[in-house]
Amino acid sequence: MSIAAEQALSREEQDILQELMNIAFGRASADLAEVIDTYVVLNVPEVRTLKVVDLPEFISTEISDHDIISIVEQSYLGRFKGVALLIFPSGAGRELLKLFGDNVEDYGEDVSMAALEKESILEVSNILIGACVGKVVELLDDEVSFSPPRIIIEDHPRNAIPCEIFEPDSLATVMRTVFQFSDRNISGYLFLINSNESFQWLKKALNRFMEQYE
Amino acid sequence: MIFEQVFNMINVGLVVLDQDLNVRHWNRWMELHSNIKAEDIIGSPIFSCFPNLDNPKFLRNCKSVFKFGNFSFFSQKLHRYLFPFKPDSTFGSEFNHMQQSCTMGPLRDESNVVSHIYLSVQDVTEIAAYERKLVEKNMQDGLTGIYNRRFLDAKLQEEFSRHKRYNRPFSLIMCDIDLFKNVNDTYGHQCGDVVIKHIASLMGSMMRDTDFLARYGGEEFCCLLPEADFEVACSLAERLRQAIEQKEVTFDGQTLNITVSFGVAYMYDEVEHAEALLQMADDALYAAKKSGRNRVVAAP
Repeated sequence: MSIAAEQALSREEQDILQELMNIAFGRASADLAEVIDTYVVLNVPEVRTLKVVDLPEFISTEISDHDIISIVEQSYLGRFKGVALLIFPSGAGRELLKLFGDNVEDYGEDVSMAALEKESILEVSNILIGACVGKVVELLDDEVSFSPPRIIIEDHPRNAIPCEIFEPDSLATVMRTVFQFSDRNISGYLFLINSNESFQWLKKALNRFMEQYE
Repeated sequence: MIFEQVFNMINVGLVVLDQDLNVRHWNRWMELHSNIKAEDIIGSPIFSCFPNLDNPKFLRNCKSVFKFGNFSFFSQKLHRYLFPFKPDSTFGSEFNHMQQSCTMGPLRDESNVVSHIYLSVQDVTEIAAYERKLVEKNMQDGLTGIYNRRFLDAKLQEEFSRHKRYNRPFSLIMCDIDLFKNVNDTYGHQCGDVVIKHIASLMGSMMRDTDFLARYGGEEFCCLLPEADFEVACSLAERLRQAIEQKEVTFDGQTLNITVSFGVAYMYDEVEHAEALLQMADDALYAAKKSGRNRVVAAP
């Protein structure tokens, strides 16, 4: 067993994290409704620890229903540290554009429909990731900053899923959830992937979180 | 004391807003570029001086930062700018406004609640100007200034997808200068360049703003005509042919009569990919050459 493996979250810690995320996502849903005027259902998250090399395979399997996807990648940096991947099936940009009611005419003449669809995905992703990560770290008593989100638009999963997020030999905690916009035909997947750098802190923070219930 | 100096000396615009979106801080950079003094704007809603910010997207992002403590990014690519300032340097001469990359983020009080948000404004006019030049160069033919083949290939794919999605008509004209090798061999390559430039500029002047004229290869040109049906494309090709035939080219005191052959193809449902349409136009062009040059042949 490598040192990294010993440092990984225990079964119990994973359960606590799952419960904590459940609470966090519930709060995120409620607040998201106020910000983007639509209710986002965030399903019960699933937590697991994986080797970084196995991540792309894991993600591809999870989203295997979709041939063409768009991925938004955004890093969050605090003691809680990792990468968020938000994955939308093909055509989500058009639906999101309708949600915001943005018009091409509101922008400069050289802004295309495709650019606007892409921007809608980016904006919604930035808010969705901000909400989910923000509520999780709030419960863990941490603060994070975010990098600007990057997007890979309408591509095959094998091209779009990033392979080199962290050191390939290390472990990662993957928090996965499925979300739906309640009155719209928009759904997708959110993966929060924490590197083993934050494991030690995360263990302590999870134990602190449990103490308030004991 | 030092922080206040940094706030005012830094070469970035910094604004702090409270929960009602009133301005709480306005740094020197913002004063200099907006011509609004801090004391004149502090305490007023940001919209009183910048009504353009009173839009759903800006409000949505403010709400998000207050609620979640996340960051919002307003890219220059889409927004151009949040604050309509004049460009600062000569680099920005082609822009009416300073191009900005803006970020919005949370500021927390002692109990860790997001009580204010900050906006940082970075002048990226110079980068945007360079980018614009690079993009132009990347789609331009060096000799003639019309579009290059790379651009045409991409545009053709785009038009093809648009046809498949919305069933919009479009046509393609391929053309080639007749006996161009003779021009080069007789008068030299400099003369050949003059002829190519002449043809490009003459054809360009006769096309609609919405058409795309590209140099496809050495002496070969391609016109992509969105929203043009078969008749429109054929009649344009004929007008181009006549105009070229009638206009002499002078080089080094000598007069040359140049002619061009044309192949026209029209997009219809059975055409399965963009390259097939190109091939149809190319075959028609070949037929025009075969049957005596200086003529328009339409693809069957």
